[in-house]
Amino acid sequence: RRIRVYLPAETHRKLSPASLNSFSGLMDASSPAVFVNGALLRRFIGQKVRAVIQVMRSDIGSVIGKSTDDQQIVVKGSPQLPLTTYLEVIGIAETDNTIRAEVWTNFGDSFDAQNYNELCKLANGEFRHMFI
Amino acid sequence: MEVSLTAGAIGKIMSGEVTKEIDMMPVLQVTEVRQIKSQQEPVRERFRMLVSDGTQLHQGMLGADLNHLVKSGTLQAGSIVRLTKFLCNVIKDRRIVIIMQVDVITTKADIIGHPVLGGKTNDQRVADSSNKSNATGFEQQGRSEPIASCQINNTETGRSNAAISPEVGHRQGFGAGSSVPTSTPSTWAYNNTETGRSNATISSEVGQRQGFSAGSSVPASAPSTRAYNTPETGRSNAAFSPEVGQRQGFGAGSSVPASVPSTRAYNNPSAGQGVPRQDHARDPPTSYPPRQPAYQPQIPPPMYANRGPMARNEAPPRIIPINALSPYSGRWTIKARVTNKAGLRQYSNPRGEGKVFSFDLLDADGGEIRVTCFNAVADQFFDQIVVGNVYLISRGSLRPAQKNFNHLPNDYEIMLDNASTIKQCYEEDAVIPRHQFHFRIIGDIESMENNSIIDVIGIVSSISATVVIMRKNGTETQKRSLQLKDMSGRSVEVTMWGDFCNAEGQRLQNLCDSGGFPVLAVKAGRISEFNGKAVSTIGSSQLFIDPDFVEAQKLKDWFEREGKSVPCISISREFTGSGRVDVRKTISQIKDEKLGTSEKPDWITVSATIIYTKFDNFCYTACPIMNGDRPCSKKVTSNGDGTWTCEKCDKSVDECDYRYILQLQIQDHTDLTWVTAFQEAGEDIMGMSAKELYHVKYVSEEEEKFESIIRNVAFTKYIFKLKVKEETFSDEQRVKATVVKVDKVNYSSDTRTILDAMDKLRNIDATSLPIKPEGSNYSAEAVNTSIRSSGTRDPSSVDRRDFGLHAHQSGQYGNQYSSGSGAHGGGATSCNVCGNSGHVSANCPSANEPQGQYMGNSYRGTSGSYGGGGPPRQHVGSY
Repeated sequence: RRIRVYLPAETHRKLSPASLNSFSGLMDASSPAVFVNGALLRRFIGQKVRAVIQVMRSDIGSVIGKSTDDQQIVVKGSPQLPLTTYLEVIGIAETDNTIRAEVWTNFGDSFDAQNYNELCKLANGEFRHMFI
Repeated sequence: MEVSLTAGAIGKIMSGEVTKEIDMMPVLQVTEVRQIKSQQEPVRERFRMLVSDGTQLHQGMLGADLNHLVKSGTLQAGSIVRLTKFLCNVIKDRRIVIIMQVDVITTKADIIGHPVLGGKTNDQRVADSSNKSNATGFEQQGRSEPIASCQINNTETGRSNAAISPEVGHRQGFGAGSSVPTSTPSTWAYNNTETGRSNATISSEVGQRQGFSAGSSVPASAPSTRAYNTPETGRSNAAFSPEVGQRQGFGAGSSVPASVPSTRAYNNPSAGQGVPRQDHARDPPTSYPPRQPAYQPQIPPPMYANRGPMARNEAPPRIIPINALSPYSGRWTIKARVTNKAGLRQYSNPRGEGKVFSFDLLDADGGEIRVTCFNAVADQFFDQIVVGNVYLISRGSLRPAQKNFNHLPNDYEIMLDNASTIKQCYEEDAVIPRHQFHFRIIGDIESMENNSIIDVIGIVSSISATVVIMRKNGTETQKRSLQLKDMSGRSVEVTMWGDFCNAEGQRLQNLCDSGGFPVLAVKAGRISEFNGKAVSTIGSSQLFIDPDFVEAQKLKDWFEREGKSVPCISISREFTGSGRVDVRKTISQIKDEKLGTSEKPDWITVSATIIYTKFDNFCYTACPIMNGDRPCSKKVTSNGDGTWTCEKCDKSVDECDYRYILQLQIQDHTDLTWVTAFQEAGEDIMGMSAKELYHVKYVSEEEEKFESIIRNVAFTKYIFKLKVKEETFSDEQRVKATVVKVDKVNYSSDTRTILDAMDKLRNIDATSLPIKPEGSNYSAEAVNTSIRSSGTRDPSSVDRRDFGLHAHQSGQYGNQYSSGSGAHGGGATSCNVCGNSGHVSANCPSANEPQGQYMGNSYRGTSGSYGGGGPPRQHVGSY
C-alpha cells in the first residue's frame, strides 16, 4: 500500500514511501514514520518516527544532535557512514528525547531546518490526514 | 428689463483691479459701436465699442468672433452686456479691454446715466490742453473715419477721450479720426490717431497719437497738441503716446500705436503703408501725460504734419507680456528666455517638404509660448537660439496653438517669418525665470486624465536599468523606469524613453547606486494608464536632476525627516522596487483563468517538470550580425553555397548562428502544457549551446550521445517564468506560452513561499481548508485575489482544478469564499471595479490583468534574456 504523498515542503531529497522499503531489513515497512521535531517526539513514544537533526557530537553508540526546533535529541545506534551536518534518522522513539535509530541518511551540510520544522507541525496538525 | 450695470466696474478696470473675467464679470452698457476696417491683409472688420458702467466709459475692442453680434444687431449702442471673457491689459498707462465673449442681456436700451470717459488724470489733460477748453471738444471726435486708414482710431479715441474731459463723456473716440475739424484740442484727443488729426492736440493729454495716418493734417489747433501729432501724422508718431510708444506712422494715417504693450493692435508697423492697420482696442490711456517724445527722435515741424513722408516707426519696441499676445496684437515685442529648444526637423507632407524647428519662451510674468519657424526662417534662427538666453522677439505672427504638440499654457503660438527679428539680450535678466513649472502632487495624478501633460517633482526611490523595447512598428527604443515619491505619500512610476534613458537615466542610476535619493523634476510628462497611473516622457519633456527650486529643497527636507521611512503607496501598482515577485500559478490556471487572452500577455511562474521535448526542430539558423549589443537573430535562409542571407540586415554571412527553439511539454500536479523555450532558456535546460547540440546530432551524428542528452532533460523540474499570450494562427486563437527564464527549483525558498501562502490562507478564513493554496508571496491581497478570482470567476472548474477538491466540494469552496469575503468586508479593502473585497481595483480579477501586468513590469525590468527571446520569436512565426 503505497500512499503517494505530495508534501507541501519537500526536502532536497526526493522522498517517497518507497524509499522506506529499501531498508526493509530493519523496519516494519507497513507503518509509516511520523515526522517529528523535538516537541512532537514525546507524543509518539514507542512509535516509529523520523527526524532530521543537526549533528552536534558523535559518540560510540550514539549521536547527539539538535532537532529542528532546537531541542537536544539523542540518537542511539551506530551509523555506518561518516556523518554530514544534517542527518535524518528513522527509528522508534524511546523517550521524549531519544530515538533508537534504524535508518540513517545523510542530508548534507545545508538544510532548511525551519521549513522542516513547519512540515512537522503541519504533518501532525492540520494535515495529518494526509500523512498517516 | 431692469438690468443694473456693475457700478464702478470701469473704475476698477481702469485702476487695474479687474483685468480678467475671473476677477469680475461686469455688466456694462455699450454706448457706442464703431467699425474699424483693417487695411492690411487680411481685410478684417473690427468693432470698437465704448462701454459704460453708468458713470464712466471705457474703450473696448470686440473680439472678431463676436462681430456677428454687431452685424446682426444684437449688439448695438445701448446694449447691455455682461463680459464673460475679457482681458484688460495695461500698456504703459493705457488700458485696453479686449472683449472675447459677452452675454448680451438686452439689445436695446437707453443709455443709463451719464457716463463719461474716465481717464487718467484728467488734470493732466486739462493741463495739457490748454486749449482744451471744451471738454466737449471731443466733438471732433470727428470720428469721421478719416482716411480709411484711420480706422485705427486707435484707441486713441479712447484715449483722447479720456483725455478730454471726463465729463464730456462722449468719447467718441472711435471715430476714426475723421477729421476732426477744428481741432478742439479736446476733441482731438481722440483722433490722435486718426488721421493725423490734431489729435495731437488732444493728445496732449492723450498723448497718443499715433501717427495719424494720412497725414491728415491735423489741423491746427492747439499747437501743443500738435506737438504730438505732428509726428504722428504720417510719422510714426512714436512720439506720442508715450504710452503707446509706437506709433507707427501710419501710412494712411492709421496710427497704429505700435507696440503697444497691449498687444492689441497697435502694432501696426504700418510703416508707411497706407493701410492703416486697425487699431485694436486701444484702451484709453489712463494718463496722457503729454510726454514730449523724449525718445522720439524728431518731431517734424508742424508744417510737415501729416504731410511728410511716412517712416517706419523705429522706436524702441514696447515689450509686452507674453500673456497679452493675441492674433490681434499689432506690432509686438516680447522679451523672454528660451526654456526649451527642439531640434531642426525635416518633414514632408502633401504640400511638400520642409524643415521646422521650435522653441519655448518664458517671460518675466510667467507667460509661456512656443515659437515655430519653418524652412528658411528656421535656418536663419536655428543657430541663434540658445536655451537659457533671453531674446527680444518681434514681428512674428500668432496662430492658435496646436494642443496636440504644444503643451504650454497659452492659446496661441508664434510663427516667425522673414520679417521677424530676434535680438539677444545680454544683460542678465534675473526677473525672467529659467523655467516655469506647474508641479502636481503625485497623489493628484491618480485622479487625472490619461494623456494629460503635467509637471511633477519627487524623490527617486528606485530606478531600474534600461531595457530595449521593440515597438509595434518594428523599431527599437530604450526604456527605463523609476519610482518617484513625494510628500503626498504616494509614489508613481516614471518611464523614460529614448535618449532620456542614457543621459538623465544614467546619471540618476549613478546617484541612486551610490546611495543617494536624488530629486527629479519632470516637465511635460504624460500620464498614462498602465496598471494604475504612470508618467512617461514625451518628445518635449525635460528632466531636471536635483534642481535648484524651492520645491526640491522642501522635498529633500521632507525626505530626510520622514520620507525615507514612510511607506509610499504606489499609484502605479508597481512593485515598489523591492524586487521581482513571482506570480505563482499552476498550469491548470492558464486555461481556467484564460491567461493570455487579454490584450497584454500574462507573466506567470510555474513549478513544473519537463516531460517531453520535441527534438525534430530544436534550433534554427540565425543571423549572427550584431545589432547594437544583441545579435540580430532573425532566421537566415541558405543560399545553397554555404552562405546565409538575413533579410533584416540585408547581408550575407558565411557562418550562421544556431539558436534554440525548443518545444517542451511541462507538467505540474494540475495539468500539462506545451511551451517554447528560446536561446537562453534552451541553453539552461539542455546544458549546452544550440550549436553544440546541432553538431552532435547532425554533423557528427552521434546518435547515442544525443539520445542520452535528451533523456537527461526529461523529468527535470524547474521553475519556469512564462509569458502567456493568445495568438492567432491562421484563423484560430491559440494560447502560447514562452519560457522566458528557467530556474532551478530552490526548495528552501519555495517551501517558505508556500508556507507563507498557507498562513495567509489560514488567516482569511478561519475554517481551514484542506487545500494546497497556490498563492503568490506577493501579498495577502494577491493570495486572496488568486483564490477569490478562482472563486468568483469560475467556481466550478477553477476550484476543482486548483485545489484538488472534488466537484461537490468546489461549490462549497466557492461559497466559503463568498461568505468569507462578506465577513471580511469590513476589514479588507474593497475593489472599485467589481465590488468584491479583498483586493483593490488594480488587482481585480475581473480586470483580468493585474498580476499579469505586474509581472510584466518585472520582466521588462530584466534585460537580456527577455530581449533575446523577443526577436526570434517573431521570426519563428515566419516560417
